[in-house]
Amino acid sequence: MRASRVRTFRYQKPRYINLLMLLRIEGWLLMIEALFMCIPCVVSLFYESESSIPFLIAVGITGGAGALTTFIKPRSKEMGRREAIMLTGLTWVVLSLFGMLPFILYGTHLSVTDAFFETMSGFTTTGATVLHSLAAVPRSILLWRCLIQWFGGLGILLFTLAVVPMLNSSGGLMLFNAEVTGITHDKLRPRVSNTAKGLWGIYGALTAVLVLLLSFSDMDLFNALCYGMSTMSTGGFSTSDSGITEFNSLYVKIVMVIFMFLGGVNLSLLYNAVLGKTMKLFRNTVFKVYVALIIAGYLLISLDVLIQGLAKDASDLTIDPLFQSVSMLSSTGILVPEFKSWGPLSVMVILIMMFMGACAGSTSGGAKIDRFIILFKFLKNEFYKIIHPNAVTTVTMNGKGTAPANINKTLAFLFLYVIVILLGGTLISLSGLPLGDSVFAALQAISNTGLGTEATGISGDYAMVAGYVKWLLAFIMLIGRLEIFTVLLVFTTGFWKR
Amino acid sequence: MKIIIAGAGEVGRHLAKLLSKENQDIILIDQDQKRLDAIDSNYNLMTWGGSAYSFETLKEVNINDTDLFIAVTPYETNNITSCCIAKKLGATRTVARIDNYEFLNQKNVQVLKDLGVDDMIYPENLAAKEIAQSLNHNWARYWGELHDGSLLLIGVKLYGNATILNKRIMELPVTTHDFHIAAIKRDNMTIIPNGNDMVLPDDIVYFITTQPYIQTVRALCGKVKREIKKVLIMGGSSIARRFAFSYHSRFHIKIIDNDMDNCEILATSLPDCEVVFGDARDVEVLRDNTVEQYDAFLALTDSSETNILACMTAKEFGVHKTVADVENLQFVGLAESMNIGTTINKKLLASSRIYKILLDTDASNSRFLSLADADVAEILVHPNAKITKKPVRELKLPADMTLAALIRGDKVRLVDGNTRIAAGDYVVVFSLQGMLEQIEKLFR
Repeated sequence: MRASRVRTFRYQKPRYINLLMLLRIEGWLLMIEALFMCIPCVVSLFYESESSIPFLIAVGITGGAGALTTFIKPRSKEMGRREAIMLTGLTWVVLSLFGMLPFILYGTHLSVTDAFFETMSGFTTTGATVLHSLAAVPRSILLWRCLIQWFGGLGILLFTLAVVPMLNSSGGLMLFNAEVTGITHDKLRPRVSNTAKGLWGIYGALTAVLVLLLSFSDMDLFNALCYGMSTMSTGGFSTSDSGITEFNSLYVKIVMVIFMFLGGVNLSLLYNAVLGKTMKLFRNTVFKVYVALIIAGYLLISLDVLIQGLAKDASDLTIDPLFQSVSMLSSTGILVPEFKSWGPLSVMVILIMMFMGACAGSTSGGAKIDRFIILFKFLKNEFYKIIHPNAVTTVTMNGKGTAPANINKTLAFLFLYVIVILLGGTLISLSGLPLGDSVFAALQAISNTGLGTEATGISGDYAMVAGYVKWLLAFIMLIGRLEIFTVLLVFTTGFWKR
Repeated sequence: MKIIIAGAGEVGRHLAKLLSKENQDIILIDQDQKRLDAIDSNYNLMTWGGSAYSFETLKEVNINDTDLFIAVTPYETNNITSCCIAKKLGATRTVARIDNYEFLNQKNVQVLKDLGVDDMIYPENLAAKEIAQSLNHNWARYWGELHDGSLLLIGVKLYGNATILNKRIMELPVTTHDFHIAAIKRDNMTIIPNGNDMVLPDDIVYFITTQPYIQTVRALCGKVKREIKKVLIMGGSSIARRFAFSYHSRFHIKIIDNDMDNCEILATSLPDCEVVFGDARDVEVLRDNTVEQYDAFLALTDSSETNILACMTAKEFGVHKTVADVENLQFVGLAESMNIGTTINKKLLASSRIYKILLDTDASNSRFLSLADADVAEILVHPNAKITKKPVRELKLPADMTLAALIRGDKVRLVDGNTRIAAGDYVVVFSLQGMLEQIEKLFR
């Protein structure tokens, strides 16, 4: 027996990325996904005539692959920044690859391309779909779609951080930073697992309340559950072709408006508000701008409705434009049926809102209001400086100055955001789609809005577009969800250099 | 446990990093957001921009459910003020970093306690004490006293004249009841040895022993006791000043500093020490001050590199004992391997002091000493713990740990193969870093 030794001080050669450790964590994640997959699997077992064996196989493959990889024993458990960034991107891809199995094997029997598009659209809470005639789709698949939205809404890794104690370390913290949206990341509690638990707690509680409220309407529990998860995660998958028209009651619309709105608010602010620090929420600059934007959107759309002479009853001027305004800004992407008849002003308002998105740290997509506030305040300062060249200015958020580094990050982000939209749009247009529709498709993908196809102008739905476009759109959705840098960094040479 | 650290200076940052790895809830407060940013995105803790003596800030971080509040900003008065406020707002225990010796006076401690400062850390004083201890026991590299000195941890660098060299530990000619070899540092490695390991020349060996056997250990290591009288200090830093204040009666002290103003202050405040204006990096200056006639050379400037190099120069002059203040943690291992007698690090001293305070507040935390990459822990044995089932010899313990000593009641004894550990004992355990959790399972 030999005593083992540890080196204390010696220059260590930079090493390649600790892939074994990454695989091991992927294993844990896949097992969690398999657990989630069990829920619709049980639904299919009890309520559907089709043999559930393919569904069980999907669960088995996911869980089995996960269990196998957890047996990998990495030489070191070290997780640096590269590992964290790599892991974040990889997780979303790997979980989508396994998450698409039910779509391929069961019920809908989609092609790999379609299934991957559908799954990625779910995880990133985009809500764009290749499925038509949802009536023919089994309920278990509908539930699975909504479940992955809910799971991806707050963040897959964030969920893992809450439940896997191994990640309660600085490595886990880097995952948190790579996945949670926003320029800076608020911690609720000192330890990252507690922060994750807090965020998931408030998210879960809000969803539960929403499902309860929806079940009081003429929705059955299944639809209430699906719409609840779809709304809270600001995803936008529905359970029938007609969308919410089926439950076109004022009550449902009001409830959904409230919770879409909450889905767009920074969850850590909501957490603090629930704990009694309500004033913090109302004093928050981003929150105030968020509310103002919704009101502005509502007024403009109502104005358009008036101009077009479409106002027939009270709901045309009240709840419908409001619903649309909130749905767009929070990147949920559910359209009210009246939308089709509205004019170009409404379309333009909706485009801008899609581009902006809601507050950072929420489940919504888009470039986030926080960044626009910084950008506009920065521009204001630049104009001011032309007249007063020696003035020293600062961009304030919530009454505190922002570090110049954050302004640079914001500008770089917005620049990349526009580039991805334009480049993506160009590549999509190569498939023969009109340029306008192509750019629009790229925008709705990166902002994770996933507008229904009636808005994109693409005849039919995404099932019709070329295969490579679906892969491209899925990739853009991922870029949008992980806020560009995390994904694109992996493709730079500097990332792989020793 | 929830710990708030005010002040993201060197000590504060080091503590925050260390404690966050210990599964504690850490909140680090500082007014300078820039200092916090780097830590915030890389460590599993929370940072908060704000003043540590602002009621608002303290309320925002929920001071009322805080178990330990540690104020380590550079300003003593701020630390005390913030501790007072924190205590009144509901913090369970407060610790302030101070730099005034008066505050440690037994009579004054109570006054501060009434104000709300439960504990004080004075890193410069800890460093001065550490230096004095290493001068008193100058044959040892490291001298640690546990349990009020009844148990000793002694690290010794061995040269060719030691009698325990090149033998397996189990074959040593002495009974190992007198001491226990707990760890060996060789080149850049730390070894927790078992009976088959050998002690080689140039190893640093850590012994655990009790008071009566100190001389046995010293003899085995081939060391002679040498009285230290004359001490030459390079750099009139705060540690140097503290050391001179406390020990000017015991040693003959000469301080060399390269700042005239500082020299004048030193000369007026320390009348019985010699103060020389000059740059001790210059060999001429050392020669002029007859460095070869000194028993000890303390390099205490603010620059770790300078201190390390100056100690090496002093060694070449034939100074028996050198002590270097090495504040860069990554240099500590290097300095130790370069034959510089003792290294002093304020951060490590302050953090082990805080550990002790933690230990008092939270019984579940058992670590109390970190030696580079080894941990020393004192763990309470719970009833029916795995470790009580058999004598130590038959336990099949993990390779990277050793049971050094146990405390039963008031009595301290060393552990050998035949010892049977009982519930209620405190066992002193040596292990490589990062094993503690695994080890604690054995004791539950």
